Amino acid sequence: MVHTFKCLDKIFALDVDSGSLFEIDELTRKLIENRKGDSKELLSSFSVSDTKSADAEIEALIKEGVLFSNHELVEPLNESVVKSMCLNVTYDCNLACSYCFADLNLRKNSHMSIETAKNAVDFLIQKSGHRHMLEIDFFGGEAILNFSVVKETIDYARIQAKKIGKEFRFTITTNAYALSDKVIEYFNENMFNVVISIDGRKEIHDAMRKTEKGHPSHDIAVQNALKFVKSRGNKQYYIRGTFTRLNKDFAVDAMELFKLGFNQISLEPVVLPYDHPLSLRHEDILELSAEYEKLAREYQKLRANNNDVNFFHFNIDLSGGPCETKRLRNCGAGCEYVGISPNGDIYPCHQFVVPEFKMGNVNTNKFNYSTPLEKNSILNKPECLECWAKYFCSGGCIANSHHYEKTLFTPHFVSCELLKKRTECALALKE
Amino acid sequence: MKHIKIIAKNTISREKGTGCGECQASCQSACKTSCTVGNQSCERENRTNRQEKN
Repeated sequence: MVHTFKCLDKIFALDVDSGSLFEIDELTRKLIENRKGDSKELLSSFSVSDTKSADAEIEALIKEGVLFSNHELVEPLNESVVKSMCLNVTYDCNLACSYCFADLNLRKNSHMSIETAKNAVDFLIQKSGHRHMLEIDFFGGEAILNFSVVKETIDYARIQAKKIGKEFRFTITTNAYALSDKVIEYFNENMFNVVISIDGRKEIHDAMRKTEKGHPSHDIAVQNALKFVKSRGNKQYYIRGTFTRLNKDFAVDAMELFKLGFNQISLEPVVLPYDHPLSLRHEDILELSAEYEKLAREYQKLRANNNDVNFFHFNIDLSGGPCETKRLRNCGAGCEYVGISPNGDIYPCHQFVVPEFKMGNVNTNKFNYSTPLEKNSILNKPECLECWAKYFCSGGCIANSHHYEKTLFTPHFVSCELLKKRTECALALKE
Repeated sequence: MKHIKIIAKNTISREKGTGCGECQASCQSACKTSCTVGNQSCERENRTNRQEKN
């Protein structure tokens, strides 16, 4: 399969199965499209000698196995190993964001106890088989509200891991509203990655991210996040925003985050039921795709001027990226990856807190692998098998498929289309 | 080549020994910034590079 596309005023060809990327001219694009047989592009405006030489170049790459390559996919083995967990240390939150997927009724008195957290660590170690590198992502609500449990969990996990020669990597997501100097210091010493939620422009952020009493949160969150970033050195962090129907011009928000002083930036499209007033819908795709390209142009300019900036979705590693197995397997929700709710219930992930998907509880040590999710690979998603972007997204978020497309193995349509566009931008930026 | 510029070739690793599962979990949901499996790095390769540097 070969995907040709135009982006940032250039034309590219991606050989899907080998992952080879080429910049091509218009004549070559037409020749490739004709070889695909999907269309009949007119070549009359090109000279015979040019057509022959472009065709010869295509032939040479085909012979080398990097264009029109064909690779037979084999279902990756499921090893029944859990290596990563999202520890929902509380559902409580100091903000009440308009697009939050958490159930507001669950919030009060929802802190995880240290006993449950320790049992979760034991569970992860026990199920991790031969895997060396284990991960715990502290998540909420607002995880800082149960900070003592975060700290005790990390201490405990390190001691337990050392006993058996494994390593833990800790990450946390926070809204930065309660980010104190002490917490910042702790994060810098202990967290491999810190994700901070800020949406960009003050008016956009404050429209979405208010306190429960309706107060805006932008100024405090930005002030705290800047303090954190200045102390972070070269350790990993991301300022992560969400864009909705209210800011389809989200490139402005990404640039605003850069102007505020952040250089590791990510903006995610909100995923909500299509009839929700903030949802992104089928009819928005063209506009949003154009916005991604606009952002890619701004990004290109910033980097050309030696600005140290990363937009997460434009970071595609063409030389040291994940292997095929990883690309086929998707996120591993319900298999390699689980979400633990504050009461110790085990779910496939933090988005899959649905009774029908409950897999057990760390306090009773009862656990069953989520059988339907064991089949979560590209090979079981017919739309993905035919898609040029399959090796970049592995079929997207399976919880979104379940919640919004009402089936596990059909990708969420809008997320899917946006992912394709931002992948094209990321590839075009490799030129 | 006059018409085609090579940017990258054979970027999907399928060699023996891959699929070790040591890489970071790639949550695909929008509430965490790790949505695209394609922008992750191979942990095995990272570790090899770290060892070479030491």
